[in-house]
Amino acid sequence: MSVTDQDLMAFADGELSDADAARVASAVAADPALAARVDAERRLRTMLGVHFAPVVAEPVPETLTLMIAAAAAEETERDMTDAPELEAVSPPARVLDFAAARAKRQAAAPAARKPHARAWGTGAAIAASLVLGLVLGGQFAGRGAIAERNGALVASGALAKGLDTQLASAADDGAKAGGDLRVLASFQRTGGGYCRVFDRGATAGIACKDRGQWVLERTASGSGPERGDYRQAGSAQADLMAAAQNMAVGEPLDAAQERAARVKRWGD
Amino acid sequence: MSTNPFCEELTALLPRLRRFARGLTHDVADADDLCQQTVERALKSRQQWQEGSRLDAWVYRIMRNQWIDDMRARKRRAQTFVHEDEGLNVGMAGDRDAENLVELGNVDRALARLPEEQREAVVLVLVEGFAYKEAAEIIGIPQGTLTSRLGRGREALLRELGEIA
Repeated sequence: MSVTDQDLMAFADGELSDADAARVASAVAADPALAARVDAERRLRTMLGVHFAPVVAEPVPETLTLMIAAAAAEETERDMTDAPELEAVSPPARVLDFAAARAKRQAAAPAARKPHARAWGTGAAIAASLVLGLVLGGQFAGRGAIAERNGALVASGALAKGLDTQLASAADDGAKAGGDLRVLASFQRTGGGYCRVFDRGATAGIACKDRGQWVLERTASGSGPERGDYRQAGSAQADLMAAAQNMAVGEPLDAAQERAARVKRWGD
Repeated sequence: MSTNPFCEELTALLPRLRRFARGLTHDVADADDLCQQTVERALKSRQQWQEGSRLDAWVYRIMRNQWIDDMRARKRRAQTFVHEDEGLNVGMAGDRDAENLVELGNVDRALARLPEEQREAVVLVLVEGFAYKEAAEIIGIPQGTLTSRLGRGREALLRELGEIA
C-alpha cells in the first residue's frame, strides 16, 4: 500500500479520516524516511507560525478600530430612527401629524409630555436633556457651514445649499449626493416663513428662511458619529422636533408641499 | 454603548487579518493598506454577510480578492513588477538580532518566491490555520485544487528552507 506525498501532507495537517490516518501512521512508523517527511511538514507549520506571530501581537492601528466603531455607531442611530414602533405610530417618519400631536398635547396636562408621547416623529420628547440653543460655534466653525449676519447665525456654504435643495420627503437625496445633511421636517411658522429641521452629524437645528437667508433659530448637538452617546443624540432630534412643533402653524409639509416650496425657493 | 455583533466580531478579527495581510503582501505598508481596504469593503457590504455563517472566512475572502485585484492593477501599471531578492526584508529588519534576521529573512524570501496562488494556499492553511475545505472556500476553488497548490507551495518552501534535499 503506497503512501503519497499528498497523504503525508494531509496526515501532518490532521486532515485525514481516521481510517486513512491509521493507514498512514503505520506506514510512517515503518519508514524513517516518511517519518522525517512528516516531521519536516510539521516543522514548516511551526516555523511559519512563529514567523508571523509578532504581527498578531502588534497593537492594531487606530484607523481600523475607529472605522468600525463609526460604522457601528451609524447603524445604532439608524436602528433607533427606524424603530418599527415609531414608524407604526407616525408612518413615514417625516410625515408628521401636527394637528393630532397638538391636540394630544393640549388634552394632556403639561406634565404628561413624556418622552414617549409621539407627535413629531420621534416624539414630543422634552425635558430638555440637551441644551438647545447656542451650542454652536466650534462645531460649525471651520466648515464654512455657518456665518454671522447682523448678529444672527445663518447657514452658508453646503448647509445653505442643502437646506435649499434637499427634501425631507426624499431623505436619501443627501446621502446619494454624498452629503451628511438630513432634513427631518419642513414646516411653516407664524407669519408664513418656511423652516426646516435638520441634522448634520455634529450639529442639528432648525433654520428658517428670512430675507434670503437660512437663519438658525435653534441648534443642538446632533447625531453625528463623533458623539459617544447616541441615546442622547436621538433625543436631540426629538427635542428639535418638539421645538419645531411649537413654532409651526399647521402640519409639517408633505412631499408635494415641500416640492412646491422648493420651487418657490422657500419664499425668497 | 451599542452592541453590534458584526462590528464587534470584525474588530476582534483585526489582529488575524493583519497577519493574513502580511502573509499575502510581505510588506508592512502594503499590508496596512490592504487591511484598510478590506475593512472598508466588509463594512460596505455587511448586508451580504449571512448571519450565523463564519465571519472570519467571509472577511478573509474579501481580503484575498482585494489583494488579487491590487496585484492585477499593479501588473497592468508595470509589466515588470518583480520583487525577487532585493529590498524584501528591509521593513522587517527592525531591531531583531542577527541570528533571527537570517531566519526570518529566509522565510520571507521563500514565501515571496512562491507563485501567488501557492502562497495564499500555504498562508491560509499553515499560518491562519484553516482546514483545507475552509481555505478552498475562501479562495473559491475545489478542495483538490487547493491541496495540489498547497503541496507544491510547501515542497518549494521545504526545499528553499533546507528541510528536504
